[in-house]
Amino acid sequence: MTLPVTIIMIEDDEGHARLIERNIRRSGVNNEIVSFTNGTSAIKHLFGPDGTGLAQKGNALLVLLDLNLPDMSGIDILKQIKENKYLKASPVVVLTTTDDSQEIKRCYELGCNVYITKPVNYENFANAIRQLGLFFSVIQVPPAAP
Amino acid sequence: MTAEGRRRRAVWQILLFSAGLLVLTVISAGSVYLVNKARDDNKWVVHTLEVENQLNTLLLEIRRAESGARGYLLTQEPNFKADHDKAVAAIVPALDRITRLTGDNPAQRESIEKLSAAIETRLAQFSQEMVYVRQGQVDKAAALVREAAAVDTTSLISSVAGAMIQEEERLFRLRTTNADRSQTFAASMTGIGSGLVVLLAAISIWLVRRSAQARDDAEARLRDANVNLEAIVDERTGDLREANDEIQRFAYIVSHDLRSPLVNIMGFTSELEELGKDIFRRIGGLTGVPAGGPPVDVAEIPLKDADKQMSADFSEALGFIKSSIARMDRLISAILNLTREGRREFQPERIDTRDFIEAIVSSLAHQAAEAQAEIHIEPLPNIVSDRLALEQIFSNLIDNAIKYLKNGVPGEIRIRGRTKLGYAIFEISDNGRGIDSRDHQRIFDLFRRAGTQDKPGQGIGLAHVRALVRRLGGTMSVSSELNAGSTFTITLPINWNASNRNADR
Repeated sequence: MTLPVTIIMIEDDEGHARLIERNIRRSGVNNEIVSFTNGTSAIKHLFGPDGTGLAQKGNALLVLLDLNLPDMSGIDILKQIKENKYLKASPVVVLTTTDDSQEIKRCYELGCNVYITKPVNYENFANAIRQLGLFFSVIQVPPAAP
Repeated sequence: MTAEGRRRRAVWQILLFSAGLLVLTVISAGSVYLVNKARDDNKWVVHTLEVENQLNTLLLEIRRAESGARGYLLTQEPNFKADHDKAVAAIVPALDRITRLTGDNPAQRESIEKLSAAIETRLAQFSQEMVYVRQGQVDKAAALVREAAAVDTTSLISSVAGAMIQEEERLFRLRTTNADRSQTFAASMTGIGSGLVVLLAAISIWLVRRSAQARDDAEARLRDANVNLEAIVDERTGDLREANDEIQRFAYIVSHDLRSPLVNIMGFTSELEELGKDIFRRIGGLTGVPAGGPPVDVAEIPLKDADKQMSADFSEALGFIKSSIARMDRLISAILNLTREGRREFQPERIDTRDFIEAIVSSLAHQAAEAQAEIHIEPLPNIVSDRLALEQIFSNLIDNAIKYLKNGVPGEIRIRGRTKLGYAIFEISDNGRGIDSRDHQRIFDLFRRAGTQDKPGQGIGLAHVRALVRRLGGTMSVSSELNAGSTFTITLPINWNASNRNADR
């Protein structure tokens, strides 16, 4: 690993964000986590002020994405990431309350790498996040395009 | 046109018709009567003429006899004698006829008697004359003639006959007038009657045309109303569809958004639980370890009584919070599933109902065996419908039947089917614990259950089943009594086609 992977978390519910962060940390993942509570600021960070994504060129990213955002649909963000040549290689984990099969199918079609439904049962929830942490630790985030 | 007006017009028509009929009857009866009367009058006129005629004939015959007798007296030629005899022979029958004809008239009868007497006298004189002439005593005969002339038998006859003729002429005038009057009366009666009938017919025609007009108007209005009704129904259906979609979306969004805070509540409650454990461990560490002693593992330090109580209360509170959250999550999931079901498009296909039900029953065989229940499947009609929906309907109902049997009583579940007017009727009956009639409506409500709550369940099954049955264009009902088993009846269209419901969506 040449560059440490940065986790970008786009989650409007601060409670969820906190719980996710805690459980990721508990699973032993110590990567930097950058949180956004709305789509606009996340887009701005990901694609830079010029909107081309050039700003993130060469950075290894992992995106944790909630679909229900106050200002836009997470699906749109997913689509934009997967259409951007600098970002499309970054893994995207959709972590949301929506468990509609149509929606899940749509996300995978758009290139989402993992789709996780937030379970209300906390044990399951914590478990899922920890699994995700394990996943992070084994995943080979490809070096960003030079 | 009001109902009152319609009724009045109908009454008027009946009255008019009756009046017309009455007038026709009166005219017919009157005509028959008057025609008969006219015929009678005419008969009397003819009668009078005949009497007159006969009287004239009689007078003529008497004259002929007279002249024959005189001729014979003067010439003694047998020609005259024959002539006279012939005339005399005709007199008596003529007189008889007149007597018969005038039998009805007392005045004429009197005259006839006088006439008969005179004629008899005259006839006697004639025969006497003839006798004298035959004996050659012409003088005597002439004397007799003169004598007859003196007594004026002949003129007496003439005058009586004349009076009779006058009488008959009076009768003739009278009877002619009568006959004329009868005929005029009959004619005018027929005329007036016909006029009345024509008038009534005209009024009837007018009334009929007016009601036909009213009917046409009503038909036109009805057509308009129908067209309007269709438009209104379309509009309302559209509104309902929109409202329904709205509710579906609403339920979906609400249950989703409710879930989000629930994740937090559950998550932080669990965090609190962990935190609580840590806190009480620390308390134990602080209070339980004697000062100056060796450090002890905090987990093993027993809490003092008051602190123990506090820890128990803390755990209990968290336990209630967690179980409530779990329950709320189940309810929200149920709503989500229902809305998802509500949005699913049905795919009608031909279903061999018996195979289909057998498959469901075999998937429930384990539960059935556990409950000692026997399931009988009677002949069932095949239908065209959505397989998944039907599966949910039947498996829910059969599962319920198995679930709510009476404890200790072997269960007996029957599935029956029949068809009626394009609908298939299925009945699922059991000998289970039954449902109080107060709860028959309630069991179909979402999250509502009835009876002893000794089985796990959310109160969703029947609500879901009924929603599905309705979407399939059917109805369902229950008949049951407490402790006497239940029968659920489902009526579904035999041929469900996508257009009658999916098109709505």
